[in-house]
Amino acid sequence: MYSNLIITGVYLVLMFAAGLFFSKNIKNTSDYFLAARSAPWFWIMGSIWATNIGFLHGYLAHGGAAYEWGLIQANFEWFQGPFGYIISGIFFIAFYWRAGIYTVPQFLERRYGSALSTIYSFAWLIIFVVTIAAELYLGGMFLKNILGIPFWPTVFVLTAVVGTYTLMGGLGAAIMMEFVQFIIMMLGTMPLLFILLNMVGGFTGLKNVLLTQWGISSQYFTVLPDIHHPYGPGPWIILGQCFVVTLGWCAGHQSMVQRNLGARSIYDAKLGYVVASIPKTLGAFLYIVPMVIAPVIFSQFGIFVEKSDAAYGKLIINLLPQGMLGLFIAGLLSAGLSSISSVLNSSSTMVIKDFYERFFVKGKSDHHYFIAGRVATFSIIAVSLLLVPVVLKVYLIMWLEQTLIAMVLGPFMGILMLAIFWKRANKPGSLAGFLTGGAFAIFLQQVMGVKIFFQISWWSFVVTLAVTIVVTLLTKPPSREKIEGLIWESDFKAKLGEVVDHRAEHNGSRVTGVPVLVLHKPAWYLNLKYWATAILLIQIVLLFFFG
Amino acid sequence: MTEPKQGADPKLIVAIQMVSIGVILIILGVTVYLRSPIGKMAPFFRLNSILSTGAIFVTGVLFFIGGYIRYRKTKKK
Repeated sequence: MYSNLIITGVYLVLMFAAGLFFSKNIKNTSDYFLAARSAPWFWIMGSIWATNIGFLHGYLAHGGAAYEWGLIQANFEWFQGPFGYIISGIFFIAFYWRAGIYTVPQFLERRYGSALSTIYSFAWLIIFVVTIAAELYLGGMFLKNILGIPFWPTVFVLTAVVGTYTLMGGLGAAIMMEFVQFIIMMLGTMPLLFILLNMVGGFTGLKNVLLTQWGISSQYFTVLPDIHHPYGPGPWIILGQCFVVTLGWCAGHQSMVQRNLGARSIYDAKLGYVVASIPKTLGAFLYIVPMVIAPVIFSQFGIFVEKSDAAYGKLIINLLPQGMLGLFIAGLLSAGLSSISSVLNSSSTMVIKDFYERFFVKGKSDHHYFIAGRVATFSIIAVSLLLVPVVLKVYLIMWLEQTLIAMVLGPFMGILMLAIFWKRANKPGSLAGFLTGGAFAIFLQQVMGVKIFFQISWWSFVVTLAVTIVVTLLTKPPSREKIEGLIWESDFKAKLGEVVDHRAEHNGSRVTGVPVLVLHKPAWYLNLKYWATAILLIQIVLLFFFG
Repeated sequence: MTEPKQGADPKLIVAIQMVSIGVILIILGVTVYLRSPIGKMAPFFRLNSILSTGAIFVTGVLFFIGGYIRYRKTKKK
């Protein structure tokens, strides 16, 4: 047991020390909130994936759901995730990046005005604070159950480590740590799959036990089950989850987007997001497929699991030897810490850029906002720490978080699509659409008792689109100057303009008519189209085998 | 309103990040190796443990070297 404790301790000390060391390089708000716009595409890739995987959305909760419901849980990793990453990377991120913004609400403010962006920002701040508290709680419980160390000291140590490196080093430190955590999760926890497959005689042996001997439904082995499936009907997974929830999450979740805004170029931002689909796809082999195998292992060893969320922890503690278990603990802590640091950094950015700088203290020096950012980071982690004792015990808190996510994602996707692809979309239309869509989501969830999250998101998305279009057509269109650079058409023209300027500057020739597009061509192995095509082919192969 | 402080050099930031990542992974890889009873493990566990720890260590070394080279290049400019 001491070996595991030592490895966990060394891991946490390294995180803490590296964060402090890195903080010496942080000098202004751009360094702090956007990592000096320095991140190359591979940083973005690792960081986005690590941000996406936590205790809540990853090993414990998703793994637990896979233990209970089977391979269907892999649809998050094999279809929705890659779909959301690729579409967001190619279509949405460029708009954010070019607009030179720090937060998603800033984009909404430029396109639709301050009312909508304030509501959106406020809703996400509540979600973020609850998320940090829930991750800290789960981290504390996980270490208590596995290493037997007391809950509160563990929570304080985790808070101190993640709080320090995020507070001192900002986004640059968070991205760096998330990349380390990405490597540890990938290389450190992947062996579990091979060990388990070896124990059950491969996929054939596993299917033989589950389907033939135990008589479990074949739906346990499919990622897109039929429409009567109680957990996730296939058509709703495609319609509601892929097109609305996941896209909304990938294009509207500040933590996901902020990593791209810290990229050194638009191309790095796009490529990083697209290539992150690969670790996303592999993620299913870290915690979904092992948990599909887990029931057979538990029955072989006579292990009883009372709650599905505890299944992953039970599996590794009963199976893995000393040392290897320590590395797994570091891997799982990586998942939790990466989520906390990204959400913490994003929420402090939103507090400063969307509230403090806009409403309370305007026109101060850059240094003032840089220090305010650190104070905000400290305050948010302190509030989250206060919520830890009650976050998963008081029903109202988690209900509020779930309701807000359901309320926000569908309507957000509706107004974002119209913002970029319909130049006529305006402030009154978007506000009416967002509020009506959000209210409709709450109505479906609370009054109609709709349980499937994808259905709520899909219908709130449809209502938002309809209301926004109707109200927009009844009111004045936005002025041309207001939407310049924020919509699809003007973005394309801006690109053409750059080419004209470039040609005129370099060969002095006068360019007439529409110029030939000669943009900087990346090396073939960094070509976005090749990566996106390869990833889509992988998804088709996976669908062929497990669909 | 005063001018913002000159920000950090983006290339230097990436070089420092790479070196730091390398150091973290090397120390973690060595610690896990030293604290694992490799000799007492079942053969398949031993193989997986060595491969996984080794991969972390090698990744760390590569990042450290790559980061150091970048650091030297950036400093020379």
